[in-house]
This record gives sequence, structure tokens and C-alpha cells, in this order.
Amino acid sequence: HPTRSRPPSTDADPRRWHSRLSAILPSLATGCHPVRPRRQIRAATPTRPRSSSRASADLRGRRPSLAMINFVLLISRQGKVRLTKWYSPYTQKERTKVIRELSGLILTRGPKLCNFVEWRGYKVVYRRYASLYFCMCIDADDNELEVLEIIHHFVEILDRYFGSVCELDLIFNFHKAYYVLDEILISGELQESSKKNVARLIAAQDSLVEAAKEEAGSISNIIAQATK
Amino acid sequence: PPPSPPFPLLQIHPPSSSSPLPACFLPAPTTPAARSRELPPPPPRPRRALARAPRDPKLDTVEKIVEDFASDMALNPFSSGTRLRDMIRAIRACKTAAEERAVVRRECAAIRAAISGDGQDLRHRNMAKLMFIHMLGYPTHFGQMECLKLIAAAGYPEKRIGYLGLMLLLDERQEVLMLVTNSLKQDLNHSNQFIVGLALCALGNICSAEMARDLAPEVERLMRSRDANTKKKAALCSVRIVRKVPDLAENFMGLAASLLKEKHHGVLISAVQLCTELCKASKDALEYLRKNCIEGLVRILRDVSNSSYAPEYDVAGISDPFLHIRVLKLMRMLGQGDADCSDYMNDILAQVATKTESNKNAGNAILYECVETIMGIEATSGLRVLAINILGRFLSNRDNNIRYVALNILMRAITVDAQAVQRHRVTILECVKDADASIRKRALDLVYLLVNDTNVKPLTKELVDYLQVADPDFKEDLTAKICSIAEKFSQEKLWYLDQMFKVLSLAGNHVKDDVWHALIVVISNASELQGYSVRSLYTALQAYSEQGSLLRVAVWCIGEYGEMLVNNVGMLEAEGPITVTESDAVDAVELGLNRYSPDVTTRSMCLVALLKLSSRFPSMSERIKQIVSQNKENMVLELQQRSIEFGSIIQRHQSIRSSLLERMPVLDEAAYLVKRASATQATIPAYKPAAVTPGGLKLPNGVAKPAAAPLVDLLDLSSDDAPVTSAASATTAPSDFLQDLLGIGGTNLSTAGAPSSASTDILMDLLSMGSSPSQNGLPSPGLSSPALGKSNSNRNNDLIFCFCSHY
Repeated sequence: HPTRSRPPSTDADPRRWHSRLSAILPSLATGCHPVRPRRQIRAATPTRPRSSSRASADLRGRRPSLAMINFVLLISRQGKVRLTKWYSPYTQKERTKVIRELSGLILTRGPKLCNFVEWRGYKVVYRRYASLYFCMCIDADDNELEVLEIIHHFVEILDRYFGSVCELDLIFNFHKAYYVLDEILISGELQESSKKNVARLIAAQDSLVEAAKEEAGSISNIIAQATK
Repeated sequence: PPPSPPFPLLQIHPPSSSSPLPACFLPAPTTPAARSRELPPPPPRPRRALARAPRDPKLDTVEKIVEDFASDMALNPFSSGTRLRDMIRAIRACKTAAEERAVVRRECAAIRAAISGDGQDLRHRNMAKLMFIHMLGYPTHFGQMECLKLIAAAGYPEKRIGYLGLMLLLDERQEVLMLVTNSLKQDLNHSNQFIVGLALCALGNICSAEMARDLAPEVERLMRSRDANTKKKAALCSVRIVRKVPDLAENFMGLAASLLKEKHHGVLISAVQLCTELCKASKDALEYLRKNCIEGLVRILRDVSNSSYAPEYDVAGISDPFLHIRVLKLMRMLGQGDADCSDYMNDILAQVATKTESNKNAGNAILYECVETIMGIEATSGLRVLAINILGRFLSNRDNNIRYVALNILMRAITVDAQAVQRHRVTILECVKDADASIRKRALDLVYLLVNDTNVKPLTKELVDYLQVADPDFKEDLTAKICSIAEKFSQEKLWYLDQMFKVLSLAGNHVKDDVWHALIVVISNASELQGYSVRSLYTALQAYSEQGSLLRVAVWCIGEYGEMLVNNVGMLEAEGPITVTESDAVDAVELGLNRYSPDVTTRSMCLVALLKLSSRFPSMSERIKQIVSQNKENMVLELQQRSIEFGSIIQRHQSIRSSLLERMPVLDEAAYLVKRASATQATIPAYKPAAVTPGGLKLPNGVAKPAAAPLVDLLDLSSDDAPVTSAASATTAPSDFLQDLLGIGGTNLSTAGAPSSASTDILMDLLSMGSSPSQNGLPSPGLSSPALGKSNSNRNNDLIFCFCSHY
């Protein structure tokens, strides 16, 4: 889609939201970070809110884990929530709190650091694609590297489905992003490792919806004709 | 303005972009019935073509809007109100949170109205809007019943959005969820595989224990279905069911084992996950799976790791890493504590560990899981060496993720093979100094586990050296760990003291109270090292006077052992002599007193130290009196009182001063440790609130008294049982008075005022103070909480005696 690409814009420009998530896909497609120099100790890092001290008692203790992936979060660079999916029970209040804490924790991390954050006895694996952070929360003893692959799997399928996906796609078609996610994860576990298969299933269901719409449309036509 | 739209309908419902107002400001919709009369019949629309029209990449072009509009209209031919897209746009256009709230409120009102009216045709769209509003964090509970209605509808589109809403807006704890059980049951038996899929997905994501019990037979049946997609969804759904109701594990184990014979990777992955869950849930299932599927698993792993390039499952040159990892995880569960099973896996594990390429993340993820499995099962020693070598490679990797993961797994490997982990000590120490906070934390935890009698000295030295340059954020963790290591290996007193002095100098502000309290207890017990301690602390204080805890410990020691500082008593061999005059020692304490104006604890300690020095150095007493009296008008009652009282002791009562200000009795180390251990457990729930809340109380003169909690800590420091027994016989009665006098423990006037009259005449005279309870008994806010109670006030008495020594 050549027409979709826009001229590069400054950070303040909201149009930069259009930047393709896949713009950085090539480097990620290798599945490996570009080799980065080991950084020596920096004099000071920006202070980060200490999540543990502010955590309320109800959230402080680790709850019995109900899923491998406890929740999936998509947060924009500005801290706006683009998608949330909870596989372990959290009340609405807890959810808001979790999102606030995690965006404080993750958005402030530098670009060269590792993709894992320890948080309340869990680990949050995150990866940034253009302006979006994809985060998944797992137990302390789960395989972090694999979760990175799952995130990438999800992004690649989104990319294929939307055709060069960008943040705006996920905002305006958020329900479709959920449908895609539901074909990848159930109950916090992976259900399909084939991108093609997921794409096929989603397409089949979309066409089912289209067919139903057509039917509804033709009925409405009939009604319209009749009432003419 | 956009070009005139091709459909007449659009002239009646202009897209919001052409209107200056967001769409939600448009007139409220009329009822569908009324509208149907007003509207001209819609012309036949080329919908097919629209549906097929390639998506225009420019999101907001007219065509796009038209297309969306048309598709909305197709579903709800007579609908009006704002479209989902318009609502999102309106919300995004909001400049402030208040504006956003207003838009959401309007939308919610409209949706509520639609829900309470018949609103049939708008249900689909309203649900989508509700989900968006929910995502923004607004309450959407009023839409929950709409989900159920949509799910109960016949059509696929309604069900699809209904189930999505169900999963987003509800969670398993809501009563409403029970109402959906019947619809779910019907949908699980539906002939359309996609509707079955939706129901399984919803069940798998949010089912409660009751639903799990009710619907388990349906899910079981679906696992035998012919369709692969249904099978995999049913298997994952059973994962959730087994988690919720572990008793059901037996029902699923045969089915799960049989699914492992499938070819479809989705089914395999789901089945392996189900098996893993079954192993966790039930011992019987674990045994059953050990017997029946270990061969199948090995075969799956062999097939997938030997398979040639398969584009469908390929990730960075590796065929289906997800399946790899899940099989390895299940193998770990089966092999744990079972030598036969482990034996069976050895070959394939060795193959995976050696053949997997490690230049890509996917490969590393497999290796990581493989190493964990080798560590987890009863593997041969050769295999273990292989695993440890892989970890070594990980640890020297330049990728932060890989190093993090390596540290993580070394933590677990340390129980298996501590020696092998020790070999990587240098690298691990390097990681403590990494720029990445996650890695530093992992590495520090690991170093803490690595410390033993032989390496404690070099390791601690490294950590202390690093303390100098560490991030301020990280210093707290690091300090705590160093202190903990030093205390754990504190048999050698001199070494322990040295380390603690270094930590206090470099990060004294991060040292916890109980740590420096413990240090004081140790110093008080080590009579041969007291001189060395006070001299070292004095020297350190000259260089690092800004470290709070260092100052406190130093001031306490100078007060107690001042003469050792000046006379170089008890010199150690390695120690160089220093010349400190009496006036220097007083200078040091005075500096502390003046520098730490906001910290009442430190200043109180300084005052006590000065008082003690006045008896150690009689020549200085005039000067000390002057310094002490500077606090006579201090706004903090505690300091004011100490200042006045100490002033009188110095000035008028020289006869008893030396006996009053003797050195503290040796603090009981064992008793302190016991108390500390119990305090650290009890502190968090009970102690803190009691101590902190009263700290905010206002004094009569309107000055908030700060630092109530440190005072309590200070008191705790010396409230051991030992001084009580040594001093108790002589002091039971006057203790109440003294407590009152120093204004520390005057909690309840009954204990403070009444018993003082008999035995306190001398003291009264001595300190020339009025004894009326109304004057003295001003409750000290720090201790006035009932939670601390009377037992504490007794402890406080002990404290006074510790400070003033045997009276």
C-alpha cells in the first residue's frame, strides 16, 4: 500500500501514529536484537515510581496463577490503552491500577534494555513496535523468550490481516484485533502456531459475517420495496 | 468539505467529518418506525462490490467513510445515532479528560436509552461502543445483559460480538455469567463449527467453577470432534476447566493422551498444554501420562526438530518453536523424580541441546526450555554439563534478554550444581553492574545465593566497591544485600565492622534502621573493638558527614566511648594512630546536631552524646552546656525537653553526673536478634499504622511533630530485657518518673503522674522541674497511640536507663 505511507513527522505530530508497526518488522523478523554494545553503568537513571510501595494489600500478594499468560496489554507511547485481555480475574479497579503501574514501569525504560520487567512477583514481557507496546504478563518461572515470540507471532498475524498494520487500525478496528487474539490465545495458552491457519479461520468468520449482512441487507431491501 | 456522497442516504445522515460538531451532537434519532416513513426507499446498492473494494489505505478518505457507513447500514438499515467510528473519532478529538468524560457520558446515556427501549437493531453497534468505552476504563456494567441477548440471538455476527463483549465486560466473578450457561450449552452443540468455536473460546477465557462443572461433558465430547480447530479449542477449554475443578482431571486424561497422536500442530500444542495442566492437577493423571505418552512426546519432538523447512510453522529457520517448548515443558513435568522417564528422554534432549541454532531468539527460547528440562529431570551428568555450558554461552551473550534469562535459570541451577554456577561468578558480578535494572536485580539475587564462607570476602569487596558508583535507585537493594551478607558471615567481628563502616560511609542513607541497630549491639558487645570502632567511625564521619545512619552510629559511639577516641585506647596492630582532641570530638557531634535539623532522632542522639561527653571530658562541659542550651527553644518538644533537662544535669548536679552517665550496659545480642526477627514479621501489618498515624498529630502550638516512627525505633533499639533485669530492682518506681520527665513515654497520665510522688523528690529537686502531671504529662504524640500501650511505655523506661545508664 504505497499510498498509506506518510512523510516522517515530529514526535508532537499526531500523524506519527500512522507509522507502520511493521516499519521495524524487518529487524525483528530475524527474531534477534541487533547486536548492541554492553553499556557501562550510567551515572543516573530517571527515577521510576516504585510500584511495590504503592501497591495495595489486595494486589501485593501473588494470586494463584490461572493461566500461563495472565493478561495481554497494548499501550501506546502516550500511555493510552489500545487492547486489554485478562485471562486471570482482576476487578475493574485492579485493572486500572495494573495498567497505570505497568505503563509507568515500561514506558520509561530505555530502548536498549532487556524486554522483561519484574513486577509484583510476575514478569511482564514487552516489546515495542513503532508507537505501541505489546505487553504480556507471565509467571516468574515461565519462558520469557518464548513469550517474546508469541508477541511477535501476534503482531505478524495482525500485520497480515490488516495489511501493514498501524496503530490507527487497532484503534478503529479494535474488535477485529480481539478476534485475532482469540484465535491465538485461549485461557492464556497458545492455541495455534500457524499464521496461515489463523488467517484462514479469521477470513472464514469474516465472510460468515459478510454473508449475514448481505442477507439482512436484502431483507431490508424487500421491506423497503414493500413500503414504497 | 467532502465531495457529495453517492447515496441519497448520506445526505440525511452526513458523515460527521462534514459537520462542525462531533456526530454525537447531532439531533437525537427518531424511532425507526417514524424514520421508515420519512425516508425515501434506499436504492439498490452495489454492496457486493463495496465489500470487495480494496481497503483504501488513506483511512479517512470519503470512500472509506462511505464504505463503513454502507456496511453499518447494511446491518441496521434504519439506524441512526453515531457510528462506532464517529464515537472513537469524537473521543480522540477531545483535548481534555473532562471533554472525554462528557462525550462518554453522552454515549452511555444514548446506549442506556437504546437498551431500555427496544433498540434491537442498534444492539450490535452499541456493544462495540461499550467495549471501547470499557477499554477507556469507564463503567459499563449496564451493558452486561446486552451481551447475553446478543449471544442468544440466532445470527453469527450477533453471537460473535456478543461473545466478545461477554469476555471483555464480564469476568468469572459476576453473577450474570451464570445466566449465560444455557446459551453456551446450546452453542456448544451448534452445527456451525465457528459458533462452537466462539462458545469454547468464551468458556475457556472466563468460565467459573460452576460453569466448568456444568459444561465439562460438552467440552469432552467436542474434543472427539472431527474438526481440528474445534478439537484444539476444546482442549484449551479443558485446561481452564481442570484449573477450576481439579477433580475433573481424570475425565480428560485419556482424551488428552489420544490427542497427542494427531498431526495438526494446533491440536498437538493444545493437547500438550492440557497434559501439562493435568499433571499439575492430579497425581493419577501424572502417572497415567508417564505410562502412556512419553513415547509419543519423544516422537513429536523428534519429528518437529528433524522436520525439513515448513513455511507454515517456520520461525527464523526453526520449525514451530512453540511446539518444541511446550513438549519440553511437559517432559520436565513427567521426568521430574522419575528415572525411567528421564532416561527415555536423554537422547532427544541431547539432540535438541546440541542441534538447535542459537543465533535467533526462537532458537534460544528452545535452548532455554531445554536447559530447564535437563535441570528439572533426573538427567545424566553428561547432559547436565551440556546444559551448564549452554548457560555459560548465554551468560556471555551480548543480548540483554539472553543474559537476563541465563541469570534467571542459574538461580535454579544453583541447587543442582552449585560448583558449576560458582565458575561463572566473575561474569555474574559483572552483571550486577549492568545498566539494565532487571538484569542487576537478577544478578544481585544470584550473587547473594552464591556467597559462601570461602568467597564471601572478595565478593563483598566487589559489591562494596560497586556501591560507590551504583545508581541511587539500586543502592537500596544493594545495601540491604551487602548488610545481609555481612551479618550472615559475621563470625569475624573485625571484618563485619569494617564492611558495615564502609557501607555506612557509602550509602548510609539507605541503611535500614534495624541494620544499624544491630551494628550498635555488636559494637557494644565487642569490648576489644570499641576503640577501633569509634576511631574508624570518627574518621569516616569526617569524610562522609552527609550519611544519616553513619552519623547516628558514630555519634552513639562517640558518646559512649569518647575517651577511647581521644586516648587511642585499644589500638589494633593494623591501625594508624590518630590525634583527636576532646574539642574535636565535641565538634563532630555538634556538627551532626546542627546539620540534621529536620531529623529528630539524630538530633536527640546527638544531645544524649553531648551529655555523655560532658562527663567524659569535664573540661568541655561548659562548652557542651552552651551547645545543649541552644535547643532550649526548639519547636520540637522532644528536643526542647532534652535540652532543658540535660542542661540542668550538666550545670547543677555534677555530683551524680558521672554515675548517671556511665557507659551503657552491654546489650544482649541474642535477645536483640530474637526481637528483631519477630519485629520484622510483625512490623508490616501492626506496627506501622500505629506508629505513623499519630506522627501527623498537631501539637497545641500547631507544629506538626515529625519523626514519630524513628523515635519508636530508637526506643526499640535498647529495649532488651537485659537492662531491665540489671537495673530493675533499683528503678521500678523512679522509672515512671523519668519516663515522664524526658517526655518520651508519657502515654497515659495514670502511669506517668500518679506513682511519681513518692520516690522522685530527689530527682525533682535535682532537675528543678515541676512534677505536676499537667505540665510534664503532655503526651508525646509519637507514642500516644493506644496500640503501643502500656507494655511499650515500660520498654521506654528501660530505654531511658540505657541512655542515662544506671541511676
